[in-house]
This record gives sequence, C-alpha cells and structure tokens, in this order.
Amino acid sequence: MENIFVNAAGGIRNLLESAGLPSLVVDISIMTTIFVAILVFVLLNVLWLVYMERKVSAYIQCRIGPNRVGPMGIFQTIADTVKLISKEIIIPKNTNKKLFLLAPVMIFMPPMAVFAVTPFGKGMVALDLNIGVYYFVALASLSTVVIWMAGWTSNNKYSLLGSMRVVAQMVSYEVPLLLSIVGVVLLTGTMNLTGIITAQQSVWMIFLQPVAFLIYLIAAVAETNRTPFDLVEGESEIITGPFTEYSGMGFAFFFLAEYANVLLVSMLASILFLGGWLAPFGLTFIPSWIWLLLKVYLVIFLLMWFRWTYPRTRIDQMMAFCWKVLVPLAIVNIFVTGIGKYLYESVRW
Amino acid sequence: MFGKGLLKGLKITIGRFFGKKSTVQYPEERLPLPDRFYGKPDFHYDKCIACNLCVNACPNKVIKLGTETVEKKKVVTGYHFDQQYCLFCGLCEEACPTDAIKFTKDFELTTYDRDTIGIEFVKQGQIDKKIKEVKQAAAEKAAAAEKAAAEKAAAETKSQTEEADKAETTNKEGGA
Amino acid sequence: MKTQEMLINVGPQHPSTHGVFRVVLTLDGETVVKANSVPGYLHRGIEKILESRTYPQVLPYTDRLDYLAGLLMNWGYVNAMEELMDTEVPERAEHIRVIMGELQRIASHLVATAAYSGDVGGLTGFIYCFRDREDIMDMIEMVSGARLTPSYMRIGGVAADLPDGFLEKCQKFIDYLPTAIEEYNGLITGNEIFQHRTKKVAPITAERAINMSLSGPILRASGVNYDLRKARPYSIYDRFEFDVPLGSNGDCFDRFYLRVLEMTESARIIRQALDKLPDGPINAKVPKIIKPAVGEAYAEIESSKGIMGVYVVSDGSTKPYRIHFRRPSFINLGHFDELIQGWKIADVIAILGSFDIVLGEVDC
Repeated sequence: MENIFVNAAGGIRNLLESAGLPSLVVDISIMTTIFVAILVFVLLNVLWLVYMERKVSAYIQCRIGPNRVGPMGIFQTIADTVKLISKEIIIPKNTNKKLFLLAPVMIFMPPMAVFAVTPFGKGMVALDLNIGVYYFVALASLSTVVIWMAGWTSNNKYSLLGSMRVVAQMVSYEVPLLLSIVGVVLLTGTMNLTGIITAQQSVWMIFLQPVAFLIYLIAAVAETNRTPFDLVEGESEIITGPFTEYSGMGFAFFFLAEYANVLLVSMLASILFLGGWLAPFGLTFIPSWIWLLLKVYLVIFLLMWFRWTYPRTRIDQMMAFCWKVLVPLAIVNIFVTGIGKYLYESVRW
Repeated sequence: MFGKGLLKGLKITIGRFFGKKSTVQYPEERLPLPDRFYGKPDFHYDKCIACNLCVNACPNKVIKLGTETVEKKKVVTGYHFDQQYCLFCGLCEEACPTDAIKFTKDFELTTYDRDTIGIEFVKQGQIDKKIKEVKQAAAEKAAAAEKAAAEKAAAETKSQTEEADKAETTNKEGGA
Repeated sequence: MKTQEMLINVGPQHPSTHGVFRVVLTLDGETVVKANSVPGYLHRGIEKILESRTYPQVLPYTDRLDYLAGLLMNWGYVNAMEELMDTEVPERAEHIRVIMGELQRIASHLVATAAYSGDVGGLTGFIYCFRDREDIMDMIEMVSGARLTPSYMRIGGVAADLPDGFLEKCQKFIDYLPTAIEEYNGLITGNEIFQHRTKKVAPITAERAINMSLSGPILRASGVNYDLRKARPYSIYDRFEFDVPLGSNGDCFDRFYLRVLEMTESARIIRQALDKLPDGPINAKVPKIIKPAVGEAYAEIESSKGIMGVYVVSDGSTKPYRIHFRRPSFINLGHFDELIQGWKIADVIAILGSFDIVLGEVDC
C-alpha cells in the first residue's frame, strides 16, 4: 500500500525501458503520466469537494443536502457539471471576447502548476524543487491576474467592483501568508517541501509555530476568497463579483478552480504545519499518502466550518485586519522565531 | 475577549452538524395538512341551490355560475372555477349556506397549459339528470296536483252528495 | 490621479434588496456619494382595486401588503372597519387576535433576523431562523388554512375558533423560543465579525428618526419609546404586561438586536393571552351585508415593521369609497437615501436589511 504509486511509476518505467525505448522518451512519457495522474487527482478531489461543501453546509444547517443523484447524492456534482456544459456560453456586449473566454481557462493554471511540486506521499513528488515554497507563493498569486482579467473584460460594474476587491484582497493577504511561511522556513532551514516535511519528524510545525499556523489559515481563507473573506464574490452585495457575467462552463471553471485552490492551500497547510505525510503516534501501517489526505481534509473541513458559521467582513475592515493585525503579528512571529532559534542553537552548542 | 463570539458560533454549528436534521423528503414524506387547508376547490352539484352567494363573495370574480330556470326552478348548468385567479381566501366557502363549495387538501395544482387550469365542475350528464329529475318532479308534482285536484274534486262532489244524502236523511229523520 | 464616479444600479433584480427594489447609487470607489431609491416595481394598485370590492372582500388583499405579516395587516384593516362601524369585538376574539398577531410578529421578526444574517453573509443563521419560523407557519396554517395569506380576521371577530391541539402547540413553541433565540445570539449577534459590520454603522439620532416619521423597531432602536401597544393601546394590549425594548445608538446593530428582543416580549404577551383565553363567541353581531354609514375612520396598529394605519372612507354603499394604507416600510424607507450616503456598498446592504422592508408593503 505504502509504495503503490511509486511502484506503479517504477513498473511503467521498467516496462518502457525493457521495450527498448530511448531514455528521453521514457522520461517524457513517465512525466506525462505523472502529470495526468495529478490532473485526475485534482479534478476528482475538486468534484468531491463541491459535493462535500454542499453536504457540510447542509448538515450544519440541519438539512440533508444533495441525496437524489446516486447513493447519498454522490454524483450530484457530475450531474451539475454535465448540466453546465450543456448550457450556452453568453458573451456580453462590448467585451474583449478573447480575454473573456481565456480567463476561465487560465484560472486552473496556477493551482495546477503548484501541484507539480507538492509531495503527495513519501517519495511521491513530481518535481522535487529546491525552492518549492517560493514557487508556490509566486504561482499562487497569479490567480489574481486571472480573476482581474475576468472581472475587467466582463464589462459589468459589479464585476469591476469584484475584481478591484480581488486585487486589493489577494495582494494584501499574500504578505501575511508569505510572512507566516517564513517562520517555518527559518526553523527547517529549507524551501524544499519534502525537506520541510522530513524536518518535522520529531515535532510538527503547528506546535512550534502556532501563531504562524493561525495567520496562514486566515490568510489562506482570504486567498481562496471564502467566507468570512469572500468579498470578491459577496453574493449579497455584488452578485458574484467577477464571475457575474459568466454562464455555463465558464462559470463552472471558476467555481471548480475555487476548490482547486482550497485543496492547494489545505495541502500546503498540512505540509508546512501538520507534518505532511508523516504518520503521528507511529501509526506507520497506514500509508503516507492516506495520512496526507486525512490532514488535508481536516484543514478543508475547518475552512468549510468557518465558511458556514461566519458572516462576511467589509472591505475596509478586511484590509485593516490584514495590515494592522496580521502583518505585524507575522513580523513579530518571525522575530521571535529567529531569536528562539538562535538561543536554542547557542544553548545546545 | 475578542474571538469568544467566533468560537461560540463554531460550537453551535458543529453541534448542529452532528444534530438532528429537520428536512422532510417531500414527495416521499409529507407533513400532515391541517383540516382547514385551502387546496383545490371541490363542488357538490347536488348540494348547490344556485343562490349566487359564492359568486358575490369572491373578491376576484373567480366563480361563474350558470343557471337555467326549468319549470320555475333554478338548475345549475355551469360552475366554472377559474383557479388561476383564486386567492384561496375561503370567502366563498364561508358564504355558502349548503357547503356546496369546499376546499380539499390537494395543493399540487400545477397544470401544463392554461386551458386546463380553470375547473368546470358541472358535467353535462349531471345537468341532464337534474333537469330530468326536476321535470320529472315537476311532472310528478303536476300529476300529483292533478290527482289531488281530481281527488279533491271527487271528494268535494262526494262530500256534496254525502251532504246531500245527509241532508236528505236528516230531512227524512226530521220528517219522521 | 483622475478619478471618476460610477453609477451603479442595485436592483430591481439583486439578491439582497428583499424583493424588487431599486437603488441607483453613485459610487466613489466603494463609497456611496449619492443614492436615489426607486420603489414601485411591485405596485399592484391595491388601494384602487379595493374601491371596486365590497368590505369583506378587501380582507384577502390586505394579506398581500406585508406578506410576511399577513395577520397583522388583516388586523389593521378590521381595526379600522370596527372603528368605522362602532363594533364591539368579543373577548375571545380579541385574545385570539392577540395570540395570532404576536405569533405573526415573531415570524416577521424571524424573517428580518434571518434576512439580515444572510445580508451580511452568514447563511447558516438564515436557515436556522427559517427553521423556527416554520413552526409558526404551521400554526397559522392550522388556524387559518394558509401559511402566508391567512385572511383570518373578520370585521367584528375572527374567521374560526382555534382548532384542537393549537394551544398545546403554541405553548410548546413559546417554551422552545428562548433556546432558539440563544442560538441566534450565539451564532449571529455575538459574532465579532457581525458586530464589526453593524455597530456604529448608519446611526439615526432620536430627533432625526422622529422628524423622518420613522416607526417600529427602527424608531425604538434610536431610543424613542414609542410603541403603539403601550403608547395608545388598541385591542386589549393594555391588559398585558410587557416591556418595550429600546436601543441606544440607533445603528444597524441596535435595529437588528431590537427585533430579537421584541420576539421575547411577544412571547411574553402570548403566554399571558394563552393563560387568560376566555370562552365565548368569536364574532360580534355584524350584518351579513356590510353597509357602514357615511363617514370615515382611521385606525393604527403596531405592525412588525412599524405603525400600520388604515384609512377608510365610506359613502354608505357596500363598497368603500376610498381605502388608504399607511405602510410603515414605505415611510421608513424615506430616510434610506439620506442615510446611506458616505457608507460603503456593503453597508448599503446592511442598512437596507436593518430597515426590514417588505416590497409588497412598500409598493402596495
């Protein structure tokens, strides 16, 4: 079980090599297989997450939620997606058609690209990048551009308001997100995601960096535009913000991309703070990738729980909270971490 | 302390997450409807006395009552209930002296086209039957009246003769 | 840097204008510079229609004014008619009216609370309030046969006596209500994010509230102790013991929280009315064909949104010469344009929610 995916990859490689193919072709086909596998993994998770969100929200609200399509309504998202595919894509007047249609396609790119460097289990990483954390931060902020693109080209004032909020919100919250990760990087001394996980062998980062975890969680909620920071969509104020004019699959892409982002930030949270695929209490008989999934879903449940409990903040309050509370707190956290690390090391030596 | 309210909210929602659900799975499960529920109207042809009270009570002129006078008696020939304009206020039911118009508990009133939404309660057969009955009743009554009249006449003549006889006898007696 | 103001249409199709209400906002970024509200999208000309209806036929139309508090609208009309005709309503009918009216008030306030929670983004609070409102709707359905448009009150009494099992159900609900309110307070009122969103937002001073002729919870949130049930008791409200909750700042939070407090007071009234409920007739002796003498009458009740006044002019026929409704939502909304100036677009929604308008009533 533990090495099922690693062995599968190895098996394919052996098969191809034994067929006498040149090593470049083998590498390319292995890489393609891995990326397709990641794509399928992400898409399946996203479909599941949409269903899970509906179920969680229903259970919190004393309802049952979708229960008609398939057992427990498990195929509801698929039915919805099929419905959305069959719908007409309406393009509003006086828009830049190319950009308008490009935005929903591009929205999946940043989270997908980041998944290339995230370890899914022991030895299960497509690209073991040295600067994984840096890569994540750099690419994740790209979605701002895409959402702004959608909002601007929609030629709708609500979309414009929403996309202005996107830029303000996501750029601001990137700062505390980044600063909270710096604490972890300081302690582990590496930017490689696998390295960060292995550094948590003795103790998870959440216990060493509780404040950083909290800041990361709040900033992650803001980054994924979910309640209480869902000002971008803010359906009671600006309809659905940048996505107002999108219909059919265009809307579905934005909708699903939100969950891809949720999956991404939750995965990063469990890698950076919850020990990634490390098994707690020595329960190593459960495969590492299952442990990672469990942790990821714990964080996701937390995010959903927040979403269905809290009301929305206002734009000025949200910005004030970011710049006046989170950023100073994160800086203080880095400072304290640095001092702590220095003292710890000097005492040990 | 800041955050106390946030934590309390989380506690409430997680309690509800594991708590009892209040969904009623509609087409399979149904909540009981109270007796006073105003659903689809129902009309009892035999009870209606064509008094027009329901027509006058209706705020939206939903009810069209057609009557025909057969043998000096009002017969209902049509009771059209244009459901799409009905407010389901129950004023017609309240006005009816004989409970001829009643509301049932059927609330699934959707139809596929506009023509079928109005309900024509009275069937031609019912009218024919009623008219026949009325005519028959009238005929019977007439016959009975005739018979009665004849009987009466007969009785009168009889009584007259009897009286005459009596008079005669008394006369006779008196004479005797 | 050159900036430009932006004109934005909120409504008539917008998720949180509570119906088909439209506000034309001039925005500077996210801040409202100028606002112009355009009601009238739900105008059905009820007042004009009523001129061609007989007096009892008016009743079902009043349901459709404030469709969240149909019974209270019924009450406003029959109250005016009783004044016009000088009818004495039997004791039992008065008690039933108080019970049903207060239940309807709780239901209306529950919708206000729910919608407000939804307006500021907390959808769970919305569902919780509606879950509990369902009990009241069931009770109203039980008594009148319809959930939203009960048409239950009649000139001189009520349509039918309380059915079997109603009293137990009502008692059970009243006993349950405090737990529910505690839940709303925990989830919505006590939430710091919610408080930040609503406290000190768009305060109305007492003086301004009186000048703008505001009424109902909005007026009382500004600290003005004016509840018709206390100030000028109609029906039998002078016999019940209850307090009038008052706000102090007149901000959105006070306007919201006042409704939650009023629910408790309504429950108190219902409890007393249930205890006192006398036996007897439920209808006064009113002629079958209502033909009031030539004259006019104006009567007010305290509806869930404010003071609901009904003005009836009779020309001696079976149909009213003129009926006018003083709709509290409409008059309260008069202060809206001025109030939202200078606030953010998110606040506009919060302020509109705190006004608790019902478009059926605004547009009539």
